[in-house]
Amino acid sequence: MRRTMLLGKWAIAAAAGSLVVAAACTPSSDDDEGGGDSGGELTWAIGGAEAQPGGVDQRIADLWNEQNPDNPITIEVLPDEADQQREQQVNVLQSGSDEFDVLGMDVIWTGEYSQNGWLESLDDVRDQIEPEVLEGAFNSAQWGGELWAAPFNTNAGFLYYRTDLVDQPPETWEELCQIAEQVGQQEDIGGLIGQGFKYEGFVVNWLELYWSAGGELYNEDQSEVLFDTDLATQTTEFMQTAMDDGCLAPGYNTATEEEGRAAFQSGKAVFMRNWPYAYQLIQDEGVPQVANNFDIAPLPTFTGEGTISALGGFNNAVSAYSSNTDAAKEFVVWAATDPEVQKMLATAASVPPVLTSVYDELQNEPDMALLSEVLPDAKPRPPAPTWNTISVEMQDALFPAYNGDADPAEASDTVADAFNESVEE
Amino acid sequence: MAGSEVATEPRTPSGTGPGGRRPRTKGVSEKGLGRLFVAPAILLMIGVALFPVIYAFVVSLRAYTGRLYEGYAGLENYREALTDDKFWASLEFTFVFTVTSVTAEFVIGLGFALLMNQAFRGRGITRAAILVPWVIPTVIAAQMWYFMFNVTPGSVNALLGLGDFNWLGEAGWVKAVVIFADVWKTAPFVALLLLAGLQTIPTDIYESARVDGANAWQRFWHITLPLLRPAILVALLFRTVEALRVYDLPQVMTRGSFDTESLSMVVQQYVVQTPDPGLGSALSTLTFVIILGVGVIFVSFLGRELTIGRTDG
Amino acid sequence: MSAATAGTEQTGRRRSRGAVESATRGRAWAKTALLAVIFLWCLFPFFWLIMTSLKIEDSALNSPDLFQGPFGFKNYGNVFEQDFQLNLRNSLAIAGITTILCVVIGSLAGYAIARLPLRGKILLLTGILAVSLFPPVALVPPLYELWLKLGLLNTYEGLYIPYTSFTLPLTIFILTTFFAAIPKELEEAAKVDGATPFKAFFRVILPLAAPGVFAAAIIIFVSAWNEFLLANTFAPRDPEVAQTVPVAISQFTGAVDFQRPIGNITAACVVVTIPMIIVALAFQKRIIAGLTAGSLKG
Repeated sequence: MRRTMLLGKWAIAAAAGSLVVAAACTPSSDDDEGGGDSGGELTWAIGGAEAQPGGVDQRIADLWNEQNPDNPITIEVLPDEADQQREQQVNVLQSGSDEFDVLGMDVIWTGEYSQNGWLESLDDVRDQIEPEVLEGAFNSAQWGGELWAAPFNTNAGFLYYRTDLVDQPPETWEELCQIAEQVGQQEDIGGLIGQGFKYEGFVVNWLELYWSAGGELYNEDQSEVLFDTDLATQTTEFMQTAMDDGCLAPGYNTATEEEGRAAFQSGKAVFMRNWPYAYQLIQDEGVPQVANNFDIAPLPTFTGEGTISALGGFNNAVSAYSSNTDAAKEFVVWAATDPEVQKMLATAASVPPVLTSVYDELQNEPDMALLSEVLPDAKPRPPAPTWNTISVEMQDALFPAYNGDADPAEASDTVADAFNESVEE
Repeated sequence: MAGSEVATEPRTPSGTGPGGRRPRTKGVSEKGLGRLFVAPAILLMIGVALFPVIYAFVVSLRAYTGRLYEGYAGLENYREALTDDKFWASLEFTFVFTVTSVTAEFVIGLGFALLMNQAFRGRGITRAAILVPWVIPTVIAAQMWYFMFNVTPGSVNALLGLGDFNWLGEAGWVKAVVIFADVWKTAPFVALLLLAGLQTIPTDIYESARVDGANAWQRFWHITLPLLRPAILVALLFRTVEALRVYDLPQVMTRGSFDTESLSMVVQQYVVQTPDPGLGSALSTLTFVIILGVGVIFVSFLGRELTIGRTDG
Repeated sequence: MSAATAGTEQTGRRRSRGAVESATRGRAWAKTALLAVIFLWCLFPFFWLIMTSLKIEDSALNSPDLFQGPFGFKNYGNVFEQDFQLNLRNSLAIAGITTILCVVIGSLAGYAIARLPLRGKILLLTGILAVSLFPPVALVPPLYELWLKLGLLNTYEGLYIPYTSFTLPLTIFILTTFFAAIPKELEEAAKVDGATPFKAFFRVILPLAAPGVFAAAIIIFVSAWNEFLLANTFAPRDPEVAQTVPVAISQFTGAVDFQRPIGNITAACVVVTIPMIIVALAFQKRIIAGLTAGSLKG
């Protein structure tokens, strides 16, 4: 009897609780009912660390709002990871909602978004942007000969190396491996750490090797495939050998950017391939032995001449469903070409800007100086609509190959097929 | 020995149970009552789940280029899915993963349940401790294990003194690690269900068995396990269908490298990452059919237990 | 003769008592060892989470040593700066409502399937099971569109309705099992005593099925709490409104792009796990203490 009474009390408590909660159901937010920007308001859908309150994107938004009180812009903070940002943008865009006006897009999404009709063409403001910004960044915002976005920031790969263990940064990959294996064995640490985990970062690393061997992917207007299976096989075989001989640090094939940084800044690797973001972090957070004894250099090549790195970064695009297209277009052009904005990216956030004039100003910063050296030759991954498909095929084929689980030549053929298919459509 | 027995009296259409005359129900017959009781559940489930499932099936019959609709495709997407090596490889891994991890979870879960059922000092803390792995959100647990098993910074390696062992980067070990993470995480779920099941076994049965001279093992084998059968079947059923749909753990820990791509990962890829709605939906439907097939096998065993019930004394 | 036998009997008894004592001690020792192993297995990763959450700066990245490096509570501060308490509130409300709905609706259905005459029960069970089997990732696009039209995005209802729907199958299976395990005699006895079916249900059946009910309740609560896919699609941002805990944690950023804030993530995880353990502790008592053998004895 007591048991049932207790249970009765539980039931009543539960019912009461649910009533209370239901009454407090879905707290209404202070702002309007999401979506539908009446008046001249703009919404900027961008993610990443700088989009958080206190980040540089916020400061840029504030600057715009000062200068354009009729068209205030607010940031809709998207997740940190690019894949998640894309998912959330796609959900909104597929439903045709005008919730987002300006889209912060990874450089490889241009083709996909434009193919689905989600973007407003920026050909009419092309002349305002093209002469001012880096060529590689500008190219990543084009697809099919049309301009779909305005570059915002960029990124290129650096070679980080230990100055206490290495005198001169190597100029060729073979040289790098030689040093890596030698020094690594001496010091009992790993050689080169990069991004070898099975994700987009691996494709970036692989492409840097492939390109530096002279390989190409498409011709100028992406109408023809120039993928060279022999060079591709050589590249993969090089990676395979590097892995077996210990040039590649242990854990290379499970490392993303952060694992690479952790390995290098804790002293467990001689070389690291990573984006510029790590430069300041290693100085601040690395173990003293590394923080005081490292430097950056351009990535080596197979030929020993010049340098090639992959281009990263973000572009700003205008949503085709926006109800404030003109203001949005102004914003994206402004964000790309305004000197104050671009300089803020570099100085406040160590984010590589796209405005060429900024680099001239900041030559005394080592990372900026290296960027200005490296960026002119940096190659973007083709922002084809099917880039994701090609990338996944490359990961599926090349990852097992360089780990010794598949034949590099066959893998190259599979990748070539993927590229050829993308042109046939 | 008590066990699940068929009701000793045949059921009459009006549901007269064994024993006395039925007391009058106020208006509604028992059959109507039954329908009334299941109605809310059915309505809610149909309301939410039916439309998307039909929608997905319809989409699977269409052709797409990327996300752009191209026309009717019939069963073309299914043909494409069934001839895709990725699909079969993921099927193989998913099955191996499911069988291994569910078996391990069952054994460990049963052990936990038996332990949690005992009265001993500190049993409250023990029960709470056993549940901890399961309450951690899966997405976090996956990241945690990725971090711990990774060579850099090498938490697990440091703990076991293994130097540079590449758990996540070696063909066979990757599978073992993913299975381990899953077992660690969900054995408590099995334990919880079996623990509740243990409560329904009256202790006097054990008493009489002990008096009859049965030892601990015999009591376990001949009393506990049979009476626990329904709970075991439910636990196995849901763990199996969950394991067949595993996504977070392999996605975060291995990205499907070294043949650890699961069915759900392939579906996810074609729905989100390299979107082809037709193919994605076809793969989803295929996955659904496969998992349903496995589930039906369990249900047929379980169904008789549940609907016929048991009598004992 | 008898004296000698008595003597050996006594010695025998003494010897066997000694043997029993050492056997008991051995068993106790083995039990303690077993408990230690279980604690280690279950709690070591949680201990790792706590230690990592207390490491500030990059000490978690720079060294695998658990006890290395500067410690502090900065990560916890960071977590709550991002309105994490609102996420906790959202998750609590949504998981709570889901649990209540599931238990109520599921009990009714479970009882019906276990006890009441229904046609095609096995078919019904299969159908119920099928609801939870379709890959959620494929259901999300049409559901998103529907939710958009119905204005259910970024709402509690938009989440707890599908959660209830997708968790009902497991609930029904569990509760049906436990209802079926209750000996029919008790129910008949209650009815003979003149109770209406509803009264019999609430006063006799439900208490007897309490272990299953509470087990189901914990399972539903934890499933709803940890659910990620639907929450990420239907309420991806805005902690003020409906963003839940797993979604919030997955969106933590570091100070710069690419940086993964492992300290904040583990801190949030610890913050999330502790109340869950308390809930689980409270409920598990109900599972065990729910029934003593006495009430099942005729």
